[in-house]
This record gives sequence, structure tokens and C-alpha cells, in this order.
Amino acid sequence: MVKSFPWRIVALIIGGIFIYAGVLKAMDPVGFANDIDNYKILPWTIGVRLAFYLPWLEILCGLAVILGLLYRGGLLILTALVSIFIAASVISKVRGLDITCGCFGHASKYLSFFGHLLLDLAIFAGLIGLSISNRAQQSQL
Amino acid sequence: MKVSAVRQALLLIALALVPAIGEAIYFRNKVSWQSPIPASELVTAEQAQSWGDNVIWVDARPSEEFDRDHIPGAISLNEDRWNELLPQFLGQWSPERTVVVYCSAQSCNASREVAKRLREEAQLKNVFVLDGGWERWLKLNR
Repeated sequence: MVKSFPWRIVALIIGGIFIYAGVLKAMDPVGFANDIDNYKILPWTIGVRLAFYLPWLEILCGLAVILGLLYRGGLLILTALVSIFIAASVISKVRGLDITCGCFGHASKYLSFFGHLLLDLAIFAGLIGLSISNRAQQSQL
Repeated sequence: MKVSAVRQALLLIALALVPAIGEAIYFRNKVSWQSPIPASELVTAEQAQSWGDNVIWVDARPSEEFDRDHIPGAISLNEDRWNELLPQFLGQWSPERTVVVYCSAQSCNASREVAKRLREEAQLKNVFVLDGGWERWLKLNR
């Protein structure tokens, strides 16, 4: 886990965002399943199962990043998830689908595509920063 | 170090299954696992046509597509012009008639969303989604 103060703050913010997003979606799995279905990438039978699973994965990974338990695993999964969100959003935009990402449940309904993309890119940059800073810290030990 | 991060990730992936399965069991009767629309809310074109004049067809596609062609007697009601079109729809609705909402094809979501809003916002009861949508109706009738 990173020990420097600024990176701890970044870890708290990013972990908090994923816990918040995960709790919102876990409270409305059917709504999240519809959001996944809107992307038209996965069949409903898979999307609805992911809708029950992904929020909890986000919550656990958010907690891992904040508490420093299974820290690197949490960073790895969150980085992969954000990369997938970004790719899926861009693909959908290119395909002309006018959809909400569903990242924050139905609360994200009011964010524009570029708002979402900027937020995802900022989180992605923060996660990469946390990984690099953690690796630098490990190599100093 | 890489292996360790992957192992940690695998552990998190496995741990997340526990609450997810618990929640899925809790929701098992409230979710349609095979199709985005529960079977009880779907109606086939054949069945809807057999109801004759008791059906109000609602076209949830964009207005331009409705203007191009639609099921005879259908009323346009889409999410883009919801506030404008809903009063027109309610003017023709009566409690003894069954509402059947359709959009372009099996894969579109508009009919599901419009049907949901009619149930939740307009408090209508007999609202169904046409299985296969406009494409299916076309295949049967033209």
C-alpha cells in the first residue's frame, strides 16, 4: 500500500468512488442489468448475472485500495474494469448508441458521454499513478 | 510481485461471488434471468392480434419511423417526446383495453422502457411488450 500522503488521498478518493458506485448498483441490480443490456455487447443472460456480481467486486476492490488489504489485486482489477468501461463506452458511441454508462446506477443518467469519459480517464490515471507509486515504494525496500 | 497481484485479484474475484450469490438468491423471483422482459409482460403478435379491437398499439420508435410506417391504428409514444405524446395517448386509452407496446425489433429497448413508464408513471395495468417488435408484425402481416 502507498504510504505517501498525496497518494493515500488519491487511494481514498478512488476507493470511495468505487464503493459509492458499487453500493448504488448493488441496490438496483435490475436497473444495472438494463444499463449493461443497453450496450448491446453481451446477451441478457450474461449481463444480468454480471449485474449482480460487478457491484460487489467494485465494493471489495474499493475497500482493498482504501484499507491496503489485497491492495495490488484491488488496483489490478479496478484498472481492468475502468479500461473495459472506457472501451465499451467508446465502442457504443462509435456504434451510434445513445446510452448512459450506468457506472453510478441511474444517477449517471444526467452525465454526458464526455463527462463520463473524462471521469473514467481521471480514475484510470489515478489507478496507474497508484500502481507506479506502489511499485517505486516496493523497489526502495 | 506480478504473481502476487494476480493471486490477490483472484482472491477478490472469488470473495465477491459470496455477496453476489446471496443477492441473486434474494432477487431470484424478482428478475427475469432469460430475457430482459419477463415472460408475463411479453405478448406474441399472433396473440395480440387475436384480441382485436381491445388492443391499443403503442409505437415506441422515434417519431420519424412512426411517420414512415406503423401498425394501423397505432399511437406514437416515445421517450423523446413523452410529455407531449402521453396526453394524446391517454385521450384514446380506456381501462378495458390492453396496451401493446412495440419498437423496431427483438433487440430494441424502447418498448420495454415505454411499457415500464406506462405502468409506473401512468399507473396502467394491462401493458404488454410485443415480442419481436415491428419486424415480427411486418413478417406476419405483409
